[in-house]
Amino acid sequence: MRRDPLQIPTVVLLVLAMAAWWHGADFYVHEVLLSEIALFAMLAMSLDLLVGYAGMVSLGHAAFLGIGAYVTAGLTVFLGWPVALAMPASALVAGLAALVVGSFVVRLGGVFFIMITLAIGQMVYAYFLKAREFGADDGMSGIPRLDLSFLGLDTADPAVFSAVLLLAALAVYLLLRVVVRSPYGATLVAIHQNEGRVRALGCPVHRYKLGAYVLAAAIAGLAGSLTTQHSSFVSPDLAFWTVSGEVLIMVILGGGGSIVGAAIGACAFLVLKHWLSAGESWEALGLPTFMADHWQLVMGSLFVLVVLVAADGIYGRARRLLRRDGPQAG
Amino acid sequence: MKTTTLRGLGRVAAAGLLGALTALPASAASPIKVGLLLPSSGVFAGLGKDQDISFQMALEDFGDEVGGRKIVLVRADTESKPNSGLAAAKKLILRDRADVLVGVISSGVLGAVRDYVDGAKVPLIVTNAGNDDITGEKCSPWILRSSFSNDQIVREMGPWMARAGYKRVFLMAFDYAGGHQLMDSFRKGFVAAGGEIAGEEYPPLGETKDFGPYLAKLKAAEPDAAFVFFAGGPAIKFVKEYAAFGLKDTVKLAGPGWLTSALYVGKQGADAEGTLSILNYVPSIDSAENKGFQERFRAKHGRDASEFGVAAYDAARLVIEALQATGGATDDRQALVAAMHRVQFNGPRGPFRIDPATNNVIQNIYISEVEKIGDTYGAVVKEVRPNVQDAPNGCSKPF
Repeated sequence: MRRDPLQIPTVVLLVLAMAAWWHGADFYVHEVLLSEIALFAMLAMSLDLLVGYAGMVSLGHAAFLGIGAYVTAGLTVFLGWPVALAMPASALVAGLAALVVGSFVVRLGGVFFIMITLAIGQMVYAYFLKAREFGADDGMSGIPRLDLSFLGLDTADPAVFSAVLLLAALAVYLLLRVVVRSPYGATLVAIHQNEGRVRALGCPVHRYKLGAYVLAAAIAGLAGSLTTQHSSFVSPDLAFWTVSGEVLIMVILGGGGSIVGAAIGACAFLVLKHWLSAGESWEALGLPTFMADHWQLVMGSLFVLVVLVAADGIYGRARRLLRRDGPQAG
Repeated sequence: MKTTTLRGLGRVAAAGLLGALTALPASAASPIKVGLLLPSSGVFAGLGKDQDISFQMALEDFGDEVGGRKIVLVRADTESKPNSGLAAAKKLILRDRADVLVGVISSGVLGAVRDYVDGAKVPLIVTNAGNDDITGEKCSPWILRSSFSNDQIVREMGPWMARAGYKRVFLMAFDYAGGHQLMDSFRKGFVAAGGEIAGEEYPPLGETKDFGPYLAKLKAAEPDAAFVFFAGGPAIKFVKEYAAFGLKDTVKLAGPGWLTSALYVGKQGADAEGTLSILNYVPSIDSAENKGFQERFRAKHGRDASEFGVAAYDAARLVIEALQATGGATDDRQALVAAMHRVQFNGPRGPFRIDPATNNVIQNIYISEVEKIGDTYGAVVKEVRPNVQDAPNGCSKPF
């Protein structure tokens, strides 16, 4: 198990920063920025379990986000289920889907795993794109939010719902931290480092990897349920591969193999995206506002820069600097 | 190194916080904010740009100051994606405090923002997306449309073609909600008028690189005409392949006018000649308003204005004239929408007004044929259906 003295201070700092931001924020920041950060942080952290620990680079993680979102949409809109029941159902269905798919994809490694997860993700996307009962490419609307009125809370209030999402992200972090610090997590890392040797030791490698795949998918399904509650809308583009790609970028940007790094990646990515795509921010820098139209170009360049100076991501780099074990590590 | 990384992080966080704290209070002399909800990236970026410049031209033509308040534009990129579109709408409403929203190219984005805009009670004028629901069953008192509904565009075409002697027609469109909606509208009127569907094909959206197999089926069905819906790059490709298949002279090609849009009919050239189209606007409409509009647009941008530009141009005029009626007041949004319902003018398309029963535009629909005009090609109007209005289709929208 890797020593990581930076983990707890970083998490405390991140939680405090988010709490302070939440406290001082306006409607817009609650409704858009903080909510998006919380949702994508959940996704990125669950993907980090696969990418950073088990060494399974999935490009189809958004498929489970989509499945979770559609399960909640279908159960609440068509069958009138309460959201509190639809949420675990979303995680369960996403997990079951991952169990079926995973039972053969975890046998593949490297680029084959990337390709097959990409293909399966696109199959899920294509299904929802044509599923007329779910509104096909027009999607579905009118999905309610979790009812917390028994606590005296109105989740229609952006401040309340963003707090719910941030707390859910924190809960996901704590769950994943328990998992990766357990012997099970250590075995995943061992499989990542030398799968052949672990198998030779008599460990059912595929079952271990399948477990991680299912858990990550269930968390993504839960994030999907919360995403569709947040926008009160669901459409197939939630499952599109570019969403998987963005989440993977967040993990790489923040630094894989630490869970908290993925959350930092999600924060950095979304804050930058919103900042770069607003004309006002360019104006504040004394640059022409049309730069905002080219935010993707700037974002891409920054991403290349980060990979060049910190191949192990923001958190990985910070951790390495602290340990002073030279640039060759990682 | 450590300190610079941390400082960099700090700067990013500070930038975010700074952004978070800059919300502007509104006052009487403050500018009127129009939020343009258009894509500047993604598949519809070109159309977004077209509508943006057309909206700006209208501000020059009709004045960007009402009641001592200047009209300023604030923008947010929908990226042509539903979820990003929703975030963009929230930014315009919550952060920029837009008084009116204008835009939305894709039906997917419109579906995503519908509930939010309705709940926020901010008027939205839709400048393209044509899903019938938005001014039908899912209509909102706050969502008006200056462009069209899918059904409004095509429903006159079925009876017209049946009368013109095209008894067997083959249908084709991409396999998605909009494609099916347009084909179903055509079929309804066409079959009722005694026409027969010779066959139909729905190639997968975004994956079809070659229309060959579908054109072979069309050819084998031996119809009198084909009614197809494609737009943009695929439309250019389809028209060219249709001619290359030798179908141009044997099976009459027809479709909603986006098939041979003013934006690219020049690229399709002789292959588009003879194509029948039905649409709410073509650049060749013979009226003083349209000629003046096209002249100004050409002088500014060096090309013909398209039906996309016109929808944004008319939306701007609608906003400006409604604001003139309220004396520039935007606080009472319900009064602002009521003022929009009373606006009437002759625009480039002809008479323009919003139907208070559905919030969809009432406009002329033009049946045209692509002909050689000078040394280029363009749609020439054959018949006009004046003041086409949608039935309420389940819309009831009390304030």
